[in-house]
Amino acid sequence: MKLRLLLLLAATSAGLFAAGRAEPARRPRYGGMLRVEIGATVNSIDPSVAAASSEEAAARDEICSAINERRRPEGAFAANAASGPFRVAEWEPGKRLMLEANPSYREGRPFVDSVEIQMGKSSRDRLLDLEVEKTDIAEIPAEEVRRASEAGVRIAVSQPDQLIALVFVPGRAISENAHSREALSRSVNRSAIVNFILQKEGEPAGGLLPQWSSGTAFLFSTAVDAVAARNLWAEVSGLPKISLGYDASDSLEQSLAERIAVDARAAGGLVTAVAIHAGADGGEDVRIVRLGMASPDPREALARLVAVLGPMAGSPGETLPAAATPQQVYETERAVLNTYRIVPLVWMPRVYGLGARVRDWKTPEAGEGWPFADVWLGDAQ
Amino acid sequence: MTFRTRLFLLVVIALLLSVGIVAVGVTAVTRRAFEDSNHARSEALVAQFEREFDRHKQDIVHRVQGVADAEATVRMAIDLSRPKADVSVYVNDARGVSASHQLDFLDFASDDGSIISSNESPARFGYKIDWLAPQGWASTGAFLMKVDTQSGPALGLTSVSVVRVGDKNLYVLGGERLGKDFLRSLVLPSGMRALLYMNLDPDFQAGDLVDESGLIAYGERFREFVEQERAQPGERSFTIAWTPDAASAESFHALPLLGRQGELIGALLVGSSERERVLLERRIILLATAVAGMGLLFGLLLSWWGAARVTRPVRKLAEGAREVSEGNWSARVEVRGSNEISQLAKSFNHMTEQLSEQREHLVQAERVAAWRELARRLAHELKNPLFPLQTTVENLQRAKEQSPEQFEEVFRESTGILLSEIESLKKIVGRFSDFAKMPQPEISSVDLNETIRAVVKLFESQFSAVGRPPITSELHLEEGLPSIQADEALLRRAIENLVLNAMDAMPAGGVLMLRTTHQNGDVDLEISDTGSGLTREECDRLFTPYYTTKQHGTGLGLAIVQSVVSDHGGRISVESESGVGTSFFIHLPAKPSLAPEAAVIQKASSNGE
Repeated sequence: MKLRLLLLLAATSAGLFAAGRAEPARRPRYGGMLRVEIGATVNSIDPSVAAASSEEAAARDEICSAINERRRPEGAFAANAASGPFRVAEWEPGKRLMLEANPSYREGRPFVDSVEIQMGKSSRDRLLDLEVEKTDIAEIPAEEVRRASEAGVRIAVSQPDQLIALVFVPGRAISENAHSREALSRSVNRSAIVNFILQKEGEPAGGLLPQWSSGTAFLFSTAVDAVAARNLWAEVSGLPKISLGYDASDSLEQSLAERIAVDARAAGGLVTAVAIHAGADGGEDVRIVRLGMASPDPREALARLVAVLGPMAGSPGETLPAAATPQQVYETERAVLNTYRIVPLVWMPRVYGLGARVRDWKTPEAGEGWPFADVWLGDAQ
Repeated sequence: MTFRTRLFLLVVIALLLSVGIVAVGVTAVTRRAFEDSNHARSEALVAQFEREFDRHKQDIVHRVQGVADAEATVRMAIDLSRPKADVSVYVNDARGVSASHQLDFLDFASDDGSIISSNESPARFGYKIDWLAPQGWASTGAFLMKVDTQSGPALGLTSVSVVRVGDKNLYVLGGERLGKDFLRSLVLPSGMRALLYMNLDPDFQAGDLVDESGLIAYGERFREFVEQERAQPGERSFTIAWTPDAASAESFHALPLLGRQGELIGALLVGSSERERVLLERRIILLATAVAGMGLLFGLLLSWWGAARVTRPVRKLAEGAREVSEGNWSARVEVRGSNEISQLAKSFNHMTEQLSEQREHLVQAERVAAWRELARRLAHELKNPLFPLQTTVENLQRAKEQSPEQFEEVFRESTGILLSEIESLKKIVGRFSDFAKMPQPEISSVDLNETIRAVVKLFESQFSAVGRPPITSELHLEEGLPSIQADEALLRRAIENLVLNAMDAMPAGGVLMLRTTHQNGDVDLEISDTGSGLTREECDRLFTPYYTTKQHGTGLGLAIVQSVVSDHGGRISVESESGVGTSFFIHLPAKPSLAPEAAVIQKASSNGE
């Protein structure tokens, strides 16, 4: 309530300041429906139901955060706790979610009356809808930031808190060969990925934590080691092609997979990008995963990453003491990466396109959900 | 094999040969014509392909130049010419530009050849195309190259255009995929198809071979020929039989597709089905077989009729000749037309007429000769008793006129002489009468050995008679000689005549040998002497009645022997050598036939023959 009051005061003072400059007052306004478009398709908002993809899981996490600001012990947001700023009004799985403001929210009623979340919208449609003001907030892929900016869309970019990495599927001949794992890791040109595919929105990832969080990311090399890669590929030349799986519905993952395949071929390796459809086993040796940071705190973030990625890679999760020092965090990170079962590629920010009506949007930090409760809708300009 | 059959076979073989030669000839000509046609069609298709290819090349050059000339491209070139230009901005541009210019491949590359944006392989940004920068592309035109795409290597017809801003180049590498769509653009005659081999892999892969519908079946069958093309690029032809059926065969003409450096990028395979030719050949062979069959049937009838028509006079001639050989001297052959056979028939008829006339003359001559011989013998035989008769009668007359007192005595003596001579005359007449009245054989079972022994016993006393040199008889009579059906009296008379003849032939003594043998129931008898022998002329006339070589012979003995043998259906022959002796050989059948043989075989060797 205090926070809401402070925001109100800040807005009022800003409005007074603006009035003094003969501009329209910037006073928070209650009411209206906030229209949100996302690319993912969320089929269930029940956290206990397994998500079909990491993208769906992340989107569901965001939705749940809008409903209930509290996190569950394992880090995910719980849905329908009825204690958050919004409540579910209408639910069409996979298509549309209508939330209504919770007037008895402990920190005060949200400014908007309702939030409509449209799911499964393509990035192109989201951008177009932003341009024609059919939506107020939309997720924008990092690689589309430049185009959105050129189109006059307001952009809000978070810290790079989304890790894209390669995870070797345990039990496969390729995955169990340390040389092939290392060869692939050393073949990837991460800078090219950031510069061209992500259009410079992000940073190459050598470690499991971003530089802004741990401060030690620079100790993990992100450069291409062509000589070492070539030698390693030569050592595993008898092995079959590496099958690199990516989410068939994710164009970014596809671009990454294709680039990694090209880089591997250039270094003498044989990698094939394979699209994996939801619910299907692509039989891949290694696959691309996207994972958001659970917290800006490096210990917490690493613990969460290791807890999630460790089982996927078939390696036991490294344990971190509750009060782990930065040295311990670094050593744990190094120990995980030395196996090459998890190969970080890039850190990517979350990017949001904002419509002209959206006021007081605060880009969420790592681990935070959409701050719909703080947003109010002004006049479109 | 009869002449008619031979003639028939000759006609049939000639007919089959004619039809076969025509069928083979037509088939060969057809095959040649089809091969020429296929060759011409292949060449036309290759020429069409080359024209189409040139057109595509020009089209590609124009389209890539169009991309280079586009305002956006020029702006990109200007932007990239600036120091520290951000190339990442353009990483996705190739996709949209290639779509608007209908190019399958499009790469923008910076001054050093690094890929800025690629349509076919978007992930290759930043990688260098080494061969791009050092070369001038002003007049290179379009060329074939292997293009790396996201889905793997592909065959492309590409061109390079350069946008130069200041001292920096922006390379635009664009092109079109050569594959099933390109093949579909070729207009092919019926029965032909075009395949494209794309030399994209280190070894031959069936998947690198496509036709206008995509991947082809049985691509592995091309391995051998494609490997040859890969080893030594050049135009070559080959044929593939898809199934054991010859109609499934397909001949191919391979045209190598070379890249910028003359390397083999691919090959166009122009296939031409052999089906039409093989089916036509089969139809020809079927037709030829039908014609041959019909011709054979027709030829069968025709040759049968023709052969019958041609051989009928020949057959009649043969029948006539056979009749003549059987003694029918009046046999004649019907003469029709005036061809060679008719002339032959006329000649045959003339010959038989001549033979009949000559035979008639000969018979008459022989008859006259026989009468003359008979008359001579009669005169000779009668002259001997007639002379004493005449002398006796003259003595009686003289005695009555000159010595009547002695007439009585002369009369008695003369009448005695007259009676004696008349008796001689009666005997002579009797012998002639006997020959004229040879009796018919009275057939009974006869043991020839016994008959011979009886005859020899009869003459034994004469063989060793006092006052003449002895004759030794040798009997070689085969034991178990079968009995024959014969008239024993006549046989005995014949053997007696031959023994008497032998005795007459050996006035100085000698050996008389009689030998019997048998074979298949028939009996052979040989009677030999060691006399002075006979000349060939004597052998020839030996069995002629009234012919004799002796002073007082009648010439009827051997004629009677021959008559008896003949009446028993047997044969008699004689062999004689001068100074050595004479042998008579008699063959008697077990049972005499109704028509007794009259053949007399004479083997005279008196002159050493």
